[in-house]
Amino acid sequence: MSEKRISMVEKSNNKRQRVNQVPKFSINDHHDVLVEILRRLDGPSLCSAACVCRLWSAVARNDSIWEELCFRQVSPRPSLSLRSVVSALGGYRCLYFLCIRPVLARLPKLLWTRDQLQFSLSLYCVHYYERLYVGAWLGDAPPSSLMFLRKPVNVV
Amino acid sequence: MKRDLHQFQGRLSNHNHGTSSSSSSLPISKDKMMMVKKEEDGGNMDDELLAVLGYKVRSSEMAEVALKLEQLETMMGNVQEDGLSHLATDTVHYNPSELYSWLDNMLSELNPPPPGSHGLDPILPPPVAGDSSTITSIGGFPASDYDLKVIPGNAIYHQNQFPAIDSSSSSNNQNKRLKSCSSPDSMVTSTSTATQIGGVIGTTVTTTTTTTAAESTRSVILVDSQENGVRLVHALMACAEAIQQNNLTLAEALVKQIGCLAVSQAGAMRKVATYFAEALARRIYRLSPPQNQIDHSLSDTLQMHFYETCPYLKFAHFTANQAILEAFEGKKRVHVIDFSMNQGLQWPALMQALALREGGPPTFRLTGIGPPAPDNSDHLHDVGCKLAQLAEVIHVEFEYRGFVANSLADLDASMLELRPSETEAVAVNSVFELHKLLGRPGGIEKVLGVVKQIKPVIFTVVEQESNHNGPVFLDRFTESLHYYSTLFDSLEGVPSSQDKVMSEVYLGKQICNLVACEGPDRVERHETLSQWGNRFGSSGFAPANLGSNAFKQASMLLSVYNSGQGYRVEENNGCLMLGWHTRPLITTSAWKLSAAAH
Repeated sequence: MSEKRISMVEKSNNKRQRVNQVPKFSINDHHDVLVEILRRLDGPSLCSAACVCRLWSAVARNDSIWEELCFRQVSPRPSLSLRSVVSALGGYRCLYFLCIRPVLARLPKLLWTRDQLQFSLSLYCVHYYERLYVGAWLGDAPPSSLMFLRKPVNVV
Repeated sequence: MKRDLHQFQGRLSNHNHGTSSSSSSLPISKDKMMMVKKEEDGGNMDDELLAVLGYKVRSSEMAEVALKLEQLETMMGNVQEDGLSHLATDTVHYNPSELYSWLDNMLSELNPPPPGSHGLDPILPPPVAGDSSTITSIGGFPASDYDLKVIPGNAIYHQNQFPAIDSSSSSNNQNKRLKSCSSPDSMVTSTSTATQIGGVIGTTVTTTTTTTAAESTRSVILVDSQENGVRLVHALMACAEAIQQNNLTLAEALVKQIGCLAVSQAGAMRKVATYFAEALARRIYRLSPPQNQIDHSLSDTLQMHFYETCPYLKFAHFTANQAILEAFEGKKRVHVIDFSMNQGLQWPALMQALALREGGPPTFRLTGIGPPAPDNSDHLHDVGCKLAQLAEVIHVEFEYRGFVANSLADLDASMLELRPSETEAVAVNSVFELHKLLGRPGGIEKVLGVVKQIKPVIFTVVEQESNHNGPVFLDRFTESLHYYSTLFDSLEGVPSSQDKVMSEVYLGKQICNLVACEGPDRVERHETLSQWGNRFGSSGFAPANLGSNAFKQASMLLSVYNSGQGYRVEENNGCLMLGWHTRPLITTSAWKLSAAAH
């Protein structure tokens, strides 16, 4: 390491533009490592991470991260067929934002079991189906049965 | 205090800029200023100005007084724009203790409104002038029978053409109602500029405005809404009773009063009262609403909005789907026959659940039955295409057939292309459709016979939980008034939006059909679970318990809806009821063929 440090110092003294030869570890160069780290975050932290920079935002769009987030507490793990279904319906990230996060926010205890998951999936599926009506819906905005999830929660 | 004064002055000056020129506005504002200045003196002394007139108003309450005056002025300003300016220029004071006898006189001298000044409501055509003699017959009835007694000192009636009061109301609600009453000349007291105060004040002071001479019309303002809420309900009941006794002239007069009273309310009560009043008016004047089948595309749209605004339809779909899902366990080929296809909103969730069940999805076949579309477009086919699209996305083999039928009783089992029950498990689903058959003799029996021929593994039924099919009109009216009041109450928590308005229109159409129609036209013949249970039991069906999963889904749904405040899920003999507070509103039940029927 000390050799490297000497070479670093030399190089920084001499040729500052050849930074890429300096063996600093930048997470931004290793997207797969970044993905692995992000997969272990909880919801709010993940959302914060996705706001750090464009690169992280793009990496955070990786659906497997959100899949991990959705199913972390569910056991046994849902089958692989679920993945194809959810991807077809719009992906885990949308599922999380549209259904899972609002549902979790409103349920009194943060129990995340298969029942809640099944419920969120049903809502998600209905939402997808309503998207199919875009353009055919009386000229107004497409119907959104998930609107009730977006409204502020009356916590009395 | 000081700050109130400034705000008040600010409001006054804005207001003065806004109103059309009227000689009365300036003196009134000066009077208000004077009154407010007095407010700064002793807080609890009776206001001197009003004390002259015999009112005991504490100076400390004057801010509220002034606010109400302002409101009145705005309303008077509206009146002025309608060309009834004479109503605003002369103000008269009445001693509140004399109000009771005044109102008595007023009721006994009701006159029909002058022809030109009617509201634009086609539902209530102006009565013929010759009716004046019949309307006065109200005076012959003791006030207590119809509870039209005024509570002394509190009530003020305002006759006015209110333009859209509640901007979120549907166009149906914007009926302009005009009530006119004659002024008993014995009650006119002197007017003076100093006392030109039109005002409405809580429970202590009451004033009325009226014309001096020719027009014999009176305008009054209803303010104390709690009293008037009770009065409104009594008026509605009285009107229904009058209709029951075939006393249409009395009913007509009461309907107009309901219109005035309804306007004074706010929120759910007003909407319910307006819809019921309209329906009662339709019944009285024999104006039937347009035929159901012409409106079907509209009712589909309205039902879609209703789906989005409140959890009732979602509850129905989720619980029925859960029952069907459990009944289909282990079956490789499944067939659902849906009596209530509409937009097919129930089926995506079931298809997704089937796609993800253990063992993989079955082959899913759906037969949708619906009424014909008005423009002959194959709307059932479109729905089928969308469902097919979804099915492809989630990898479920899907087959669809749409049937157009004017009524479910037109169906035969042979049309449905049923396959042998060893290969295919069938479920029949009906959401809010079966009650429509009760108007036709033999209708429901035929349909239940067809269902038995189908031999479903499960028959899911969702219906409104109320008895709106009794033989006596008054009973039906009372029941439906309570039912829809509760339903509208539950909608109050929803933020105003187009969806909410459309949902209210959706419910309003049901109210209209229920109250105004008779015979085969009256399709909204709701019945309670016990009534349906008897019917199904005697037709050869046995109840199938809905199970705890359905209950869990329903509970989750409700806890997500506005934190579930107010909504309650109850289990009742294996059926699930969704209600608002203590009143169950809709019921999901599941039935299977009883052993004896096999």
